[in-house]
Amino acid sequence: MTASTEQVLAGLDKQNSATLGKLIGRGNVGQAEEKADGTMRGRIRIPEDELAWDPAVLVLPHGGDVEIELVNDDYNTHCAVLPSNGDSKFIWLPCLSKGTATLNLDGPGYYWYGSPTGNDEGRGLTGVIVVLGDVPAEARLDRPAQPRP
Amino acid sequence: MTDYVDAGTAIDLSGLTQIAGAAPPVARTVNYERILRARDEPHNWLTYYGAYDGQRYSQLDQINTENVRNLTPAWVFQFGSSGLHAGASTYAFETAPIVVDGTMFVTGWDGWVWAMNAATGQLLWQYKHAIPFDTSLCCGNVNRGCAVGHGKVFVVTINAHVLALDAETGRCVWDKTWGDVRAGESGTVAPLLVKNMVIVGSSGGEFGNRGHLDAFNVENGEHVWRCYMVPKPGEPESDTWPADSEAWTRGGGNCWVTGSFDPDTNLLYWGTGNPAPDFDGEVREGDNRWTDSVVAVDADTGRIRWGYQCTPHDLWDYDSTMECILFEQDGRKLLAHFDKNGYCFTLDRTNGALVRVTPFGERITWGEITPDGRTLPKIYPQNEGENVHFWPGPAGAKEWTHACYSPRTRMFYVPVQDVGSTVCRVRRQFKESIPYWGASVTVDSDDMNGFVKAIDGDTGEERWRWHNEVPMCASTLATAGDLVFAGTPSGEFHALDARNGVDLWQFQTGSGHHGSPVSYSVDGRQYIATPAGWGGWVEGFAPGMLGGPHGDALFVFALPE
Repeated sequence: MTASTEQVLAGLDKQNSATLGKLIGRGNVGQAEEKADGTMRGRIRIPEDELAWDPAVLVLPHGGDVEIELVNDDYNTHCAVLPSNGDSKFIWLPCLSKGTATLNLDGPGYYWYGSPTGNDEGRGLTGVIVVLGDVPAEARLDRPAQPRP
Repeated sequence: MTDYVDAGTAIDLSGLTQIAGAAPPVARTVNYERILRARDEPHNWLTYYGAYDGQRYSQLDQINTENVRNLTPAWVFQFGSSGLHAGASTYAFETAPIVVDGTMFVTGWDGWVWAMNAATGQLLWQYKHAIPFDTSLCCGNVNRGCAVGHGKVFVVTINAHVLALDAETGRCVWDKTWGDVRAGESGTVAPLLVKNMVIVGSSGGEFGNRGHLDAFNVENGEHVWRCYMVPKPGEPESDTWPADSEAWTRGGGNCWVTGSFDPDTNLLYWGTGNPAPDFDGEVREGDNRWTDSVVAVDADTGRIRWGYQCTPHDLWDYDSTMECILFEQDGRKLLAHFDKNGYCFTLDRTNGALVRVTPFGERITWGEITPDGRTLPKIYPQNEGENVHFWPGPAGAKEWTHACYSPRTRMFYVPVQDVGSTVCRVRRQFKESIPYWGASVTVDSDDMNGFVKAIDGDTGEERWRWHNEVPMCASTLATAGDLVFAGTPSGEFHALDARNGVDLWQFQTGSGHHGSPVSYSVDGRQYIATPAGWGGWVEGFAPGMLGGPHGDALFVFALPE
């Protein structure tokens, strides 16, 4: 019997269903909030037995400093290596733990991060941080506005 | 309610290494005056080409034709690619190390910068700029090097920032955004430190932007000047672009390789890239200045004093970004430029007058350049949907990787690529961030050759050649030991006799070469350092080696102690 497209799609979002691990780049989208001083704050957790980040995609409204609370609700130990200007940031995430990482990112664009233990990166523990916005006006080309796709 | 374990705060990843954390204060006294007199301190490699003249020549002669057979690795630096990063399959180690009094500064792909002990390879500090995965890259995730001085290391990032790092700690001192990644701009060039400025040129010519050269104050990053290589309507040379057209807004002319500098003329000699779209000339009628040109830019004002266009109205993707080597002949101040189009242009660098133009490419069928400098196109993508085949292909008879010049032999040593290509014009609309080639391109993956050719500096004639089965795609290095060092795409690093091309020594480094070797000494011991790490625009310059092993090592060789 052939699985329906809906069944396959649902299976891509789960550990050991259609695929062995959750397909990276899929999952919930969350947004960081901007604080009064212009820095940002976000939260990412690892749900029990999902081997995935939730949200899988964290969206920042602009480049700058962001403090991310990382919560491990899983009964396995994970960790995270996250992008940041100057040096990547590392944190152990023992079972049922939480910690923080402060990152500085330019953007615009998106950045992968992951848990470099075992094959966490091959499951859903490869996540994305998206930085919205444009480069500063002084860095743009001196030309009229151009068409985009 | 879960009673969470406190995981604390994320730490710097480099804290989980044996990195020393600090470098000696060697860069504090490096300034314009020292770089001007770089030849007075041959133990150092103070600037991208070794000196402002672009010769890539080391006066060190401890390693010479008699003893080079004994050359062995002194140390190896390896880093490796981890995690997901932009251009994961096309990253390459294209750097040229800078060495100052026993400390080496090296840049890598994806925002990496390292300082290490030049005698032992001990890692002293590292810097990582976070690079968006989706940055537009035409030709791989690469960086060609840094500039060092005023206590700082200057480097550009793939996402078009210019950074000044503290040379002792690697911490960022200032950070300026200088290009628009949404317009397809990026940064790959090794900066050039001139006076109190750091000079950088933009990348991204395949995305239809407007190439520019910029100067920043070394102390605070203040923007000093910008020089666009494609004029706006009404500006000088704007009549080489179609009137009443937007072609100039996306005309290309990016300056993605480091220039040279002559303090007597106060001119920066910088090569410019292809016009855009690369192969569809019908939408940009005219010569399209100053694309595919050598431009002489006043170092203080950023104004173009003169230009020489090597391929007017380019239809073959023949950038002219590669080096301009400054030398003298019979008291005349000259400049030699080995162009993608297969010709060497020797110019009077005081005024841009053509002294001679001579072919160095192996098979040149796209057209001909007459001795008086007239361009006669023969084969080019003219009709929509019609294949044409020409040599050299769009990576050129020589890509960006550099020739060198030995004042001892008065010869240039040129890495030559002999690869053809089939191109079919395919018109497309311009959209920001989408490649803007105007063609379908398939570079030959067989019937190819490579050479190191020795070209007489006084006549432009070939004196000897060393043949390789595949194109030569790495910079060469000449030394006073009458040696020429050259790496191959298959990983061998060779030492040739500069006088006759005899292959005297080779070492297999395990990955292809697409960077720039340098020489220096520490405590009287001469070293030869070369990056090995195959990648970049391989489908352009050597598609027959597209499956070659990747790598990311810096090999440093010396004679046994």
